[in-house]
Amino acid sequence: MKKEELLTTASLALLELEEGEVERLGEEVARMLDYFEMMTKLDVDGLEPTTHAFQKTNRLRADVLNNNNNNNNTNNSFNRPLIMENGNDVEDDFFVIPNVL
Amino acid sequence: MKDLEGWKKVLTDQDRAKKYREYITGWEKKIGSLLEWKLPEPGKYRDDGSPLSAVPFAVKDNIAVEGFKLTCGSKILEYVKAPYTATGVKNLQDSGAWVMGKTNLDEFGMGSSTDNSALQKTNNPYDTSRVAGGSSGGSAAAVAAGIVPFALGTDTGGSVRQPAGFCGIYGLKPTYGVVSRYGLTAYASSLEVCGVCARTVDTTRSVFHAMRGLDEMDQTTIDFETVSSGVKTVGVLKVEDGSLSAEVAASYETSIARLKKLGYEVREISIPAMDYVVPAYYTIATAEASANLARFNGMRYGLSPIFAESPEDLMRYSRNMGFGEEVKTRILLGTFVLRSGFQDQYYVRAQKIRTLIRQELDEIFAECDVIMLPLFPTAPFHHGQSELTSFQQKQADVYTCLANMTGSPGLAVPSSLEKGLPVGVQFMAPPCGEERLFSVAEELEKVFPAPRPAGYSEEWRS
Repeated sequence: MKKEELLTTASLALLELEEGEVERLGEEVARMLDYFEMMTKLDVDGLEPTTHAFQKTNRLRADVLNNNNNNNNTNNSFNRPLIMENGNDVEDDFFVIPNVL
Repeated sequence: MKDLEGWKKVLTDQDRAKKYREYITGWEKKIGSLLEWKLPEPGKYRDDGSPLSAVPFAVKDNIAVEGFKLTCGSKILEYVKAPYTATGVKNLQDSGAWVMGKTNLDEFGMGSSTDNSALQKTNNPYDTSRVAGGSSGGSAAAVAAGIVPFALGTDTGGSVRQPAGFCGIYGLKPTYGVVSRYGLTAYASSLEVCGVCARTVDTTRSVFHAMRGLDEMDQTTIDFETVSSGVKTVGVLKVEDGSLSAEVAASYETSIARLKKLGYEVREISIPAMDYVVPAYYTIATAEASANLARFNGMRYGLSPIFAESPEDLMRYSRNMGFGEEVKTRILLGTFVLRSGFQDQYYVRAQKIRTLIRQELDEIFAECDVIMLPLFPTAPFHHGQSELTSFQQKQADVYTCLANMTGSPGLAVPSSLEKGLPVGVQFMAPPCGEERLFSVAEELEKVFPAPRPAGYSEEWRS
């Protein structure tokens, strides 16, 4: 894998690699991609791709708002104050993000 | 229930609670299995008489438990607190069991040694210079040391079973979809499940029964159907010479001999697509990881810089500071295999290979009730990469990642001690065939129960 390819991939993944990492991670990624090449030896014609082990259909819930805050798995809402506690900086019900120019 | 009975007073009896605390502290200095732990105030917890009531357990730190952090072994989530409780854990809490702590892991579950944790080092209770396996190394070590009777882990490619083998205990990877993944921090959604590390087969079964069930919060949960539990025929994977270390090969032979002695019909089997399982597995796992881990960007929570030029820079800095090298490597790989122009070459091909592997296993399960195969090619190795490089550790997932690719259940069973180190063996059953696994494991347990490391004690409990 060329260095530019690696850097393009890193930028797509929003990863900024430092100089040493470009070498080390690049080597590891290249080694794995070589290994993945082995898959081309197998004839896969006529095989359908398996995306999930057993899932046959989607299960849908009723499209209703549920504002229950009691952390009960039978509803689809969350405990908002507990979630907000994780914010680095919070104002009312909003996350305040670092200053960006 | 015998194993669990002995635990029922460590939380409720003041004297025993004190000894429990001392026992945990003593072991933790040596093995570092827990990232966080706390015991209830004496007298606060009561036993209502049901099997799991007042029994303490630990949970891998990539599974959400309200009241604890949810670090995933990563710097990026080091101070994040879980805002809710995972369904599997909730089901156990509803059965009366009590979460006493969170266990160490390879960052986001990526690794086979727990050395990839950014937060703490975890050692094997049998030899602290060696790893406990991974990625659920903390859970396996805590159970092996007798800190808890069971602990929850997650298994994406062997992360419950391999450390269970390294620590000489039982490790269950349930059928995909039978236990809810709600509250599990996603790494590779189509492969991973919540599993159980435990000292006995009986405890493994009780915990599994309490955890499982349809969950409206995880649309991939399935209605489990019971597959008959009787086992007569065991398919034993023929292993090529040289693919296992001498110790592991000897242990494998020991287990084969035991099966024959117990009266099972043992049939040699082979899986032709086996050579392709690891590349296909890592293609799928890294692709899914690159998508799942995209959410960690320092924007709302988690590690972030105090200043950035642009929102995109902020995300880049956060991810660069927050993720370790193994995680970055896998994100890069996954992003690459999903890039336009490469998808058919890697991702789609890997999914087709997944179909082929399932077909081959279906044929085997038409003839055999369960199959036995190794867990890992070596005994617990030393910390660092001097014995097995990161690449070799990935290749070594060959025996375990099979069950994740097909969704089948797998169980690690203690096989022997070799030069003082535990070696395990693995059983696989067709989907929803967990009872078959327990049935064989229980017969083998009578011959060789889970061993005990030096320093293991139950005296403080009685």
